[in-house]
Amino acid sequence: MSAEPGSVPPEWRIDYPNVERAKDARSHATYAAEVLVVGSGAGGAVAAAAFAEMGFDVLMIEEGDLHRTESFTTDPPTMLQRLYRDAGTSAIFGTPPILFAEGRCVGGSTVINGGMCWRTPERVLESWQRDFGLPDVSPRAMEPHFERAESILHAEPNHPDTYGRHAHRFLDGVHKLGWSVDVNRRNMRRCVGLNNCALGCPTGAKQSMLVTEVPRALAGGARLLTGARVSRVRFSGSRAVGVTGVLLGENDRPAFRFDAFAPLVVLAAGARHTPGILMRSRVRASALGRHLRTHPNAKVVGVFDEPLDPWIGAHQTHQVHQFLDDGILIAYAAVPPGMLAMGLPGLGAVHARLMRQYNHMLTAATLVEDTGSGRVRLGPDREPFMTFALSPQDVETIHRGVALTSELMFAAGARRVLLPFAHLPAIESADEIGRIASLARKPGAIELMTVHIMGSARMSVRAADGVVDESGRVHGVAGLAVVDASLFPSSIGVNPMESIVALALRNVERLAATLRRPRATRSAAAAGGDRAA
Amino acid sequence: MSNRLPAGLDRGSIAILRAVIAAIRPRGSGFDQPIDDEVLHAVDGFLRHVPAPLRLGLPFGLRLLEWGPIVFSRPRRATRLSRLPREEGERYLEGWLEAGGLRGTLVLGLRTLVFMAFYQHPTVLESLGVDWQGRARERIARRTELLREGA
Repeated sequence: MSAEPGSVPPEWRIDYPNVERAKDARSHATYAAEVLVVGSGAGGAVAAAAFAEMGFDVLMIEEGDLHRTESFTTDPPTMLQRLYRDAGTSAIFGTPPILFAEGRCVGGSTVINGGMCWRTPERVLESWQRDFGLPDVSPRAMEPHFERAESILHAEPNHPDTYGRHAHRFLDGVHKLGWSVDVNRRNMRRCVGLNNCALGCPTGAKQSMLVTEVPRALAGGARLLTGARVSRVRFSGSRAVGVTGVLLGENDRPAFRFDAFAPLVVLAAGARHTPGILMRSRVRASALGRHLRTHPNAKVVGVFDEPLDPWIGAHQTHQVHQFLDDGILIAYAAVPPGMLAMGLPGLGAVHARLMRQYNHMLTAATLVEDTGSGRVRLGPDREPFMTFALSPQDVETIHRGVALTSELMFAAGARRVLLPFAHLPAIESADEIGRIASLARKPGAIELMTVHIMGSARMSVRAADGVVDESGRVHGVAGLAVVDASLFPSSIGVNPMESIVALALRNVERLAATLRRPRATRSAAAAGGDRAA
Repeated sequence: MSNRLPAGLDRGSIAILRAVIAAIRPRGSGFDQPIDDEVLHAVDGFLRHVPAPLRLGLPFGLRLLEWGPIVFSRPRRATRLSRLPREEGERYLEGWLEAGGLRGTLVLGLRTLVFMAFYQHPTVLESLGVDWQGRARERIARRTELLREGA
């Protein structure tokens, strides 16, 4: 970059050395390293940086491209196509279908999430210990990992000067109801409330993996291969020895094959593609792909008389955790018109009448700690697809969460509330909230979306009901581990990024202990010095 | 308005997609911008990124939509989607949405793409009074200044 320091955000001047683009390849390629990390999101980037700083020779393999901070714009169609898998058009099949979005770029979903940093709730950690026999996941044992995760993520609350009118309305509603409200800590450095989080933060404030752990890994000597899709893990007997995949050319068409070899393969491709890679690799585990949890999110939109200008102010500054033990999280999030439009009912003139009120809308959601059954399977094209069925309990929880969120909206002064139910699309006053409780329970009539999937390669000490062990190692296979949300044993009920990072840090320490000393330290020792000493 | 045809779809699919856009796109309430061609091109841009099975299956799905009035309309209509009056086409697509399953998913996906392209069009954003890009320039400068001042 030629810009003078201080004239542009510091994140615009980050160096990305050791990056190889698959699009530049002219033939089949072979790589060797000591650790291969597949994926560069919250789990992968943290693992890569940690291994690199220990002195291991690390190769990160990312299917998406490297998009620098200064290339981010506020245009959703452009950024969805650059940063999201399937341009953000993915869905989880079932009744109802659930819209799903995840990142596909260097930095993974941390580039396009809201940056919320929440620890795994203590009751969830206790259930993992009790129900899955996992040692060292108690709140006390996880404390240092969460602390380290918060430091890496640069977790901090928003400055009050970034609160938009929509945030103040949300807080008014919470306070009028006498509920408690929780201040979000988000991974950012002096957010200025642009609210472009979902499309990449051009201000550089969001401290995503793109501007933190990926550069740290590269500075530590790691290499990064972008535009490379891993097909499967390679084995020698029951030991993983590398991966094989395709280098993507123009328009993401497979151009050449590649092979990469290492004594340790770490999968961090997310809860859809990590199990997909394991299935294509013929890893045998009865829990593989099962137990998918989706943390579904039902949108509730309040329409107010006064303008709220939801495009001005931080994405999300507060959440309501008061009902978390009942599986309900309530939050608001302002999104661009094109993205809000997807969640509003109707077509043509009906939709137009709703969207004309965009600047008067407060968009909130109830996120549900789900108990239904989901699954990742391979389709005829050998790509993973997801199915999910809400449990009756989930349906009840959604109805209760939507009723609570509607209560909040009317308390905040909404004159109308739009609901995610096809058979009750709107209510006009608080007196009508009771209609939600008496509504027929029709899962197919609920509109849901999610950005939090987990549990499809879950962790358990027992190989019979988990895919990976207490350290993230795949049961029955040496040299193969998982460090993303696939390994969560259950739904955690909160935004998952900090939990992914904390568990990755914990597991990397354990995985490193099983490896030979890094090549760098071995050669230094042979030369008379010892970096590890 | 562009006369260029989208590159990713065959002519038959494009004709059906035009009818789908006409039925789905917002109308009235200040949303009568003549931007259907731009929406068509933006939808085509998205379709290049969807998974191959969906991309390959889309022409079949569009033809099912086109000829669906004969099978799925109540009462049945011996005509095609692209020949239905716009309001009737809208009701027909709503029926598919309510049916759920693969039919519902197809229309839900098309609706998502049409709305994304329509409401993010610069003329539509302007009519909503939203200037996100201008605010981005101002916020980037503001953060740079705050960091320089050590705030």
